[in-house]
This record gives sequence, C-alpha cells and structure tokens, in this order.
Amino acid sequence: MASAERLVATWMASARDEEIEEVITEISNDRITLLGIVKALGEYLTSEEDELRTKGVDFLSLVLSRCPANKLNRQSVRVLATFYCGKLDDTETIIPALKGLNTLTTLPACSPTEATSIIQAVFSHVRMRALIHSVRFQVFSIIDNLMARNRDALKALGKAFVAGYISLAEGEKDPRNLLVAFAIARVILIEFDISDHVESLFNITYCYFPITFRPPPNDPYGITTEDLQKALRGCLTATPSFGPMAVPVWLEKLTAGSVTTKRDTLQTMALCLPIYGSALARVSARKLWNSLKLEIFQPTDPLTEEEALKTTQALVETIYTQEEDAIESDDDVQGLARDVCEECIHILREPEKNQARPAIKVLCALMATTPSVSRFTLSQAAPYLVKLFLNPDEVSNRAPILLLLADLTNAARDSMPEEMTLVPMMPYKDEILGVFSVGLKAISSRIPALSLLRGLVTTKNLLTDQELEFIVHSVDEVFQSQETENNDFSDSAILEVLTTISMTSPRHILEQTLPMLFSSLPDQAPYRDAANERMACWRTLLALKTLCVHPELFETLVIRLTTKVDLICLPVTKRDTAEDTEPEAAYAHALLKTIADTLSAKVEAGHADVAKYIDRLVPGLYNLFIFSALQPEHSWIVIEHRLVRAAAEIITLVTQCVPAQRQANFVAAIFKVLSSGELQGIAEGLQKIPSNSQMLLFNESASTAQKNLLALFSAGVVTAHKEVLPSPPALDDFINQLLIWSITRTDHYLQRESAWHLISSVVNKHAETATAFLEDKLDTFWPRYIANAEVILDQRHQAIQAWVWISKALVVRKDATLTRFTDRLFEVFDDDEISWDAAKALGQIASADQILIKRHHAVIKILHAQKFVNGILPRIISGAQDSSKLPHEQTAYLVALTSLIKAIPKAAYAHEMSSLMPLFLRGLDLPDFDIRADVIDTFLAAAECDASERSLVSEHASTLVTYMLKNSMVDEMPSVRVRTAALQYLGVLPKIVRYDVLHPSKSTVLRDLAKVLDDPKRSVRKEAVDTRTVW
Amino acid sequence: MAGEIFNPNPTIFSTKPTVRKSDLEKQSLWINEKVVQDDNADGPDPIDQDEIFDLIRSIDDPEHPNTLEELRVVSAPQVNVNGNHVLVEFTPTIPHCGMSTLIGLSIRVRLLRSLPDRYKVDILLEPGSHQSEHAVNKQLNDKERVAAALENPALLESVEQCLSGAGRRGHSE
Repeated sequence: MASAERLVATWMASARDEEIEEVITEISNDRITLLGIVKALGEYLTSEEDELRTKGVDFLSLVLSRCPANKLNRQSVRVLATFYCGKLDDTETIIPALKGLNTLTTLPACSPTEATSIIQAVFSHVRMRALIHSVRFQVFSIIDNLMARNRDALKALGKAFVAGYISLAEGEKDPRNLLVAFAIARVILIEFDISDHVESLFNITYCYFPITFRPPPNDPYGITTEDLQKALRGCLTATPSFGPMAVPVWLEKLTAGSVTTKRDTLQTMALCLPIYGSALARVSARKLWNSLKLEIFQPTDPLTEEEALKTTQALVETIYTQEEDAIESDDDVQGLARDVCEECIHILREPEKNQARPAIKVLCALMATTPSVSRFTLSQAAPYLVKLFLNPDEVSNRAPILLLLADLTNAARDSMPEEMTLVPMMPYKDEILGVFSVGLKAISSRIPALSLLRGLVTTKNLLTDQELEFIVHSVDEVFQSQETENNDFSDSAILEVLTTISMTSPRHILEQTLPMLFSSLPDQAPYRDAANERMACWRTLLALKTLCVHPELFETLVIRLTTKVDLICLPVTKRDTAEDTEPEAAYAHALLKTIADTLSAKVEAGHADVAKYIDRLVPGLYNLFIFSALQPEHSWIVIEHRLVRAAAEIITLVTQCVPAQRQANFVAAIFKVLSSGELQGIAEGLQKIPSNSQMLLFNESASTAQKNLLALFSAGVVTAHKEVLPSPPALDDFINQLLIWSITRTDHYLQRESAWHLISSVVNKHAETATAFLEDKLDTFWPRYIANAEVILDQRHQAIQAWVWISKALVVRKDATLTRFTDRLFEVFDDDEISWDAAKALGQIASADQILIKRHHAVIKILHAQKFVNGILPRIISGAQDSSKLPHEQTAYLVALTSLIKAIPKAAYAHEMSSLMPLFLRGLDLPDFDIRADVIDTFLAAAECDASERSLVSEHASTLVTYMLKNSMVDEMPSVRVRTAALQYLGVLPKIVRYDVLHPSKSTVLRDLAKVLDDPKRSVRKEAVDTRTVW
Repeated sequence: MAGEIFNPNPTIFSTKPTVRKSDLEKQSLWINEKVVQDDNADGPDPIDQDEIFDLIRSIDDPEHPNTLEELRVVSAPQVNVNGNHVLVEFTPTIPHCGMSTLIGLSIRVRLLRSLPDRYKVDILLEPGSHQSEHAVNKQLNDKERVAAALENPALLESVEQCLSGAGRRGHSE
C-alpha cells in the first residue's frame, strides 16, 4: 500500500512515464489493486485545487489505459464508470475523465447497465462546443466503442439516444472526428429507429456534402479526401428516407459547384439512387435528367461527362429494374427512358453536328442498363439512323451517320451478357449490312463504314458464314480497287476487320483474300525506278504479314512466298538488266522479311505450329543459299548481306521453338558442314546441290558469298539447347580457329558478327567446361591481338569486339571470370589507339542483345546487369575523377561511363547520380556527337524521376541550359540527333526545375530559340517550337 | 469570356494526318529500311504550307472542345507561303461569330512564337465569311493593336487556353 502512495506522490511531482510503468507492473503482479490506487489518489481526486484534481483523474486514466483487461472485473468497472461519470460535470476533470471512459468502454467487463449510464452522463454533461477537437475525438470514440460492444443497450435507449447523438455530432469539423462520426451515423441510420429524426440526421450528414476537405501538408493523421468521401457516402447511402431531401441538394450542387464538386455529386448520386428507390427516382427523373443533360451536352471536361453518363445509367436502372419483368413490348417502356431516347434522336437529326456525339453517348449508355431499356433504345435508334442514311438529302452526312451507327453497334455488342444467345442487333442486321456496303463504296465514308463493320464482326453470333463471306468479298474489292491510290488511310482498318474475321473463320480469308493478294505480287522484282509498283508490293506484303498469323493461313503464306523467292533468286529466264541485281535482292528480302515478321508475331503469341517449319521452311532456305553460293552467277544472293540476314532471322525464329531432340540432328548437321564441309542432311530443295560438293567456309580460297553462309549456320546454332550443343574442350580447336578467322580473314561485318554470336553462345552455355579456352584468351589472345601495337588497327578493333562478345556470354550468367576480362579492357585505357574502343566496349558488354536471351536457351541469371554495373561503375567514376591520370586516359573513362550508362537500366546507377552529374557535363564537351547525344538522352531518362534528383538538376540548371542551347544551334552542332535531343531536354527542364531557378535564363533561352526556329531541318524546328512554347 | 455562345452546335469534320509527298519519294529500295538521317546529305527542308498548318491545326476553339481543324476553321490550302511572307486565311463557323478575333489572335500568337522572325505573317478572314470582315482583318494585322491586346491579362489567358493543345499537331493524345 505504501508503495502505491509513494508512486502516486512521485508521479504528482514528476509526471514521468516510469511511475505509470511501475504501477502497471505492480498491478500485473497483483501487488497493488486498482482500488488501492484510487485510495492512494483519494485526496487528489477530491482536492479543492483544480490542478491537483485534474492530475489525479489523469493519473487514474493513464493507469487504466495500460492496465491489463483481466485485472478489471465487473465490479471495478462499475465503480470506475460511476466515478468518471461524476467527474464529467467538472470542467477541470472532464478531459481525463473522458479518457478513462474511453478505456472503460473498450473493456469486456463493461456491461449494458454501465453503457447506459455512461452514455446518459455523456449526453447530459458534455458540451461539445466547449471542447477542443482531440477531446471531442474521445467522445466520439466512447460512442463508437459502445456502438461496437453494447449496441443493444444503446438501442434500448431508443429515440433519446438518437436525439442525444445528433446534438453531440452537430457542427463537428475535424476530419478525424468526422470519420468516426460518419461510421456511427451509418449504424444509426441502418439499425436504429430514426423515424422522428430523419431531418436532423440528414442535416448532420448532408451538410458535409460534398466533401471539400483538402488534407493539409504533413497531416499527422494522414486522412485523405477519399477517406472522408467514402465514409460520408456510407452514411448517405444508408437509408432511403434521405431521398426526398437529397434531390434538391444534388440539383443545387450540380449547378453551382466546381468540377470536383460536380464529379463527387455525380458519383454520390449514382450510388444513392438505387438505395433511395425507384419511386423517388421516377418522381424526380425529369429534374435530375435536366441537370445531367447539361453535364453531358456541355461538359466541363471528359471525366465529368463520363460520370454524368454513369449517373444517368444508375437513374434509368433504378427506375426500370423493378418493373423489368412487367415490360413485354417496347410500348411498355414509358417515362424517362422514352423521353431521353426521343430527345437524343431529335438531336441526331443533324448527325454531322457537334451535339450528335453526346447524344449517341447517352443512347449507348442507355443500352448498358436494363435489357428492356436497351432493347427499346436500339429499336428507336438503329432504324432511325438507317433511314437517315438512306435519305437522299443526307448524302453528304453519310460518314458521320456511319460513325454514330458504329458507336451504337459497339454498345449493343457490349451490352450483351456472356451467356445470352439472343443478339440485340439481330433484327437490324440486314439493314445495317446494306448501309455498310453502300458506305464502303464511297471514299469519304469508307473509314466510318469500316469501323461500323468492326463493331459487327466483333459481335458474337451475329453474322452468318455467308454474310462473312460477303463482307470479306466487299472489303477485298475495296482493298484491290485502291491499289494505285491508297490515300485514304483505310488499309489498317481493312486489315483489322479481316484479321478479326481470320481468328474465327480463316476459310474466307484463305479462299478469297489470300489468292487476291498473292496474285498482286509480281513474279519479277519491280524495276529500280518503279517506285509505285514497289509501294504496291510492300502494301500487299504488309497485308499478308498482318493476316497470316493464323496457322492455316501461315502455311499458305510460307509456300507461296518461298516459291516466289526461288523464282526471283534463280530465274528461269534472265532479265535484261541482270547486271543490276539490287532490285531483285531487295524484293526477295522484302518477301523473306514478311515471313520473318509473321513468324516473330507467332513466336510472341506462342503458336505451336512454328516448330514444324524446321522441316518445311529451313532446309529450303539452306538449299537456296548454299546452291547459290556454289554458283558464281547466282552468288549475288549470298553476297547481299541484308538478304542473308533476313534468312538467318527466319532460321533463328524457327529453331528456337524446336524441341531439343529435333535440334540435336540439326545442330550436328550444321557442325558437320562447318568442320568438314559436307552438306548432307542440311539442305533440301528444288535445286540439286551436286552431291560431291563441299563448303569449306574457313579456307583461304572461300569467296565472300561462301563466307556469308556462316550467318545462316550460326543462326541455327545460337538457339540450341545446352545439351545438344557440342562443348569445349572438344570444341576448343574449332572455336579458336573461328575466332582467329573472324579477325583475320573475314571481309564483312556480317561474317564476324555471326562468328562471335556462335562463340558467345557456346561459351555462355558451356562456361564451366570452357576454362581452358577462356584462360587461353586472357593469356595469349589478349597480348597477341589487342594489347599489341604491332597488329594493324582494324584487327585490334575487331579483336575488341570479339572480346565484348566473349564477355557478354559471361556477364549474363554472372560468371566470376568476367572481372579478369573487364580488367584487361581497363588496362588499355592509356593506349591512344584503342582506348575509345575499349571504353565503349564496357558499355557494349552491358547492353542487351538478341542472341543471349532466354528464348535461345542461354544461361541467364537475374540482376546480372546490376551486378556488372556495381562492379565497374565505382572504378569508372574514380578513374574519370582522378586528375593524376593523363587527359586522354581520363577521357577514356568518360567515354566508358557514357556508353555504360546508356546500356543499363536507370535503377542501376540512380544512387550515384550526384557524382555522375559533373562527369556527364564534362561528357558534353567530348568531340564525339553520338556520345553527346547519349549523355543528353541519359539526362532525359533521369528527368522522369524523383525529387532528390531534381534538386540535383536545379544545382546545375544554368550550366545545363547553356550547354543545351549551344548544342541546339545549327552553326555549332551539325548533328541533327544532338540538336533534337538538346532541344528536348531544354523543353523538359522547366517541368522539373522550379521557375525561380530558371527565371534568369528565360530571356536568353527565348532569344536563342528564336534563332533555332529557323533551323534547316523540319524535325529540329518542330522540337524548337515545342520547347519554346514550354518556356 | 463566358456569356453568349455564338454557335452552339457547329459541324464537326473528320481529320486525317498529312502525308508529305517528299517523304514518300525518299523511299529506298529496301523494305523497312529507314531513310538514314544524313545530316548534310539532303539539303535543308524549307518551311512550307503543311508545316505552318501543322502549327495551327490543333489550336482549340474558344467555344468548343474541338480543334480549329475539326471545325474547318483552318485548312492546309488556306495557308500560303511565299518567300518570307506567310498568309493564313481562316473561316469562322458562322458569319456573325464574335470569337473570330480571338481565333485570329490565337493563330497570330502561335505563329509569332513558332516562326523565325524573318517572316511577315498576314492573318485574314476568308473573304465573304464574316459580317465584319474588314474590321477583324484590320485588328488582326495591326501590330500595335495586337501588342495592346496581349497586354490584357484576361485576353492573354484565353489565348493561352486556346493554344494549350496546339502542340498536338493533328494527333490526338
């Protein structure tokens, strides 16, 4: 007992937390009872001195709030409750007393009797207006607690409780309290008898509507406008009896409010209307619609317009859902829906006018409501528009009418429930198809007609097979007829429609469209100066590429196009202009590229039929190219690297989808060609390759054409699964030989690249057994071919590229050997001749490529780029900053930095930004334009980020402005790319830097940009205009 | 500028992107091959009709959420470039349109900001398209009066509002 008194006395003097802690521990250990505390507090609780009394009660409440619940029995709760209630009428103790009550009401031991007496005491003693918001919060919490635990006791109080609560809650302003108050009000509205207090309750809830609260900066409670809105809507939607009073409020807010008020009102209306019931909706329909109409036909902004449409839907649904079953025919739809429909159709009499758009939007919105209204709307709108279309006086307005019909068709499609078999559009289908075929014929209405058609073909179960056939036929005709003058941009729309049809019924495309397209492709390449003819071919190919993704169609495509390629590459009769083979090569390339692009789309989509083309397409390609490479008069095909590349792309795309088992034979056959020159089993086709012929690519005597073939072989190997790919050390001899060949005997980049891809792929997949090969590169290859000033420069550059590809293989699998490879590159930074190449190589190592990817079964570990960057970035930064290094060496570090940054994701270097910024600025001084453009691109990427980096930009703002202006002048910067990028960045600056920082530069910028407006290049002028507008 | 709406229900025309003839002719023999941007190989592109139309086509109408192009207030053939002289004609949607001056002023400001200062720009109403054609033309091409108008903050704000979407250049975004 003594200890309780001592603790109380100490706390009274110190008000420290420790004493409370101690009391709680004592209570938990049953050494002190709560009663003991009260006794110990005795004199303070009744003290005449105001301050002491406050403190006494406060201490008790503090103890209570931390006291374990099981130490408080029913008895003590009752005593405490009575005690606290008695303290409520004392202005000095009301605050701690409320705190105590707040704790008490959360306790399980708090019984209905206490609840009743507490609430009555609160009602009779608490005057909310006299209390500050945090204390009011206690009051609301008390009621909230009682609501949660002793709701029945409150209900038993009946109307007295509701009245009491209303007077408490009236005039509350604090957002935190309101959140609780709204929650309480919702319960009252739903569960209590509110019949006598509807109006008062309406007043204490609707007075907050709509919420205009804006959270202050650094709000400690983190209450958002949305929280309040949601809580308030919970109240407003709680009872239908608010309805009659709410409607005038809405109407007033809609006419008077700001955009946010309007939007909030509209959303609330949409939520409340169904609750308030159809009777009210029907009565106020006219008034509400008049207000809504304004928002739709003269919208303040698109978002509000959309909300207004949704609210209209809610209104219509509320009115008609109930009587849905009673409506049997369209005549039964009376009231609002009918009025609105008529009104809109009246507006549609002028389909070309501005107001027709919102009118059709309203009609479409109606179609997404109840089935009967939907049916009714369509039955009014569709025949009307069709009639309008056929009216000879409206011929000039056919295009807008078609667009309106298209909207209607889409809405009809979207209003169809999943399982419904009855298609709403069905009764009007014939008429609309008629309209479509008329509209399609005139150029002015073609695109609208096609968008109408798109709506029709995407509607399920609407069109019959015959009708589709008719559609495909008419669309094909249009496509064909405009072959010469495709200037109305309807191609993509046509293709979209045909693609949609090809998904469901490829037969029509196969039988009608494809023959037409194939027949329009000539068997001979268009001549060099026949630009129009060439354009026509490309257009046809684009169409084929878009359409033939479907397996059945693709099969036809492959057969027809490969035949055509054979015909062009190995013509039966020679053309008179045979010396100029470029048009032929370009045409063949376009054909192959079409196959490749379609394949690529199929691979993206995961089509299973891709794999079978390893037998149907790939051998033919090998055959064609190998055959040609053996015959000097045909070798132009293989010499043209773009053509080879297109073929290689096809081979890569097909082989990556082939299962390992099938790959095994294929890869083995390729390696046989590469090692011994034997050609069996790889190629197969029309032209017979002499059976004794050999293809020794790596011989000194091999021609360019033959060497180019490596690209095709490499394309088939880089996609190999690990287990089917021969591995080092058995392969060491071969890849070593290949590597040396690539830098000494090749005569085109294509050959070198193919060799490196092959090597890189092997090293990547078999790194664990390639140790000997890698060691040999570090110890022999590097000193002999790269760090050797006696080797000719070209070869050194190429050797560095080979080095990049070997390193890439290691980077993506996070191999430990990698650092030794990158170290070597750093070593030559002081070598004037190759330092820039070595520096750029670091960026190339990090950059993504199309060879070492998952689809090619490469070994790739996650976050490899980050690991690589973290490994070398600090070294590069310190190297660039180290002024003890020679200037050109420092420059090499800068070059390395810019090329690396360009290659990696921003997240990998964002944390270093502050030290990078000065280096980038130095990079802008480098004489290489590509580097400058890269640096500016990096700035552009960095501009889309958070505040910390923005402040960094602010620091350098004036320097940046100067640099950018200098780089945007045509006199000082000949490169268009740099000028464009500089202007773009200049345009971004005002968005990320505070105005006051930039203000000093403003006049200079505007003056200088006025000169840039006269740039000789159109694209630069465009950027200059945009940038100047921003400033 | 609230108050009377001069034409509550104007006709909307469809728009389509402009394709420059010279771009089409530059095509290479090879499909998908971008014409390499050779910095100095092909000569300068002079500022032409299409480019100026591009600058003004997406100016918003003061009364409607549509662009001048959609309302056929301006069109490419109504722009004329001759040396350092630019002539832009525009057609208000109705002959008594009180917004004509504001539209003309917006075009004027846009071109003022976007064309090099060597150009002299004349902005005229399409002959016969407006009741007070002469007065509006005079106002739009009087340097002093344009300058004075731009000193009026309320007027400048309406102009800025019309110009806010001008950077779209006929594309919708």
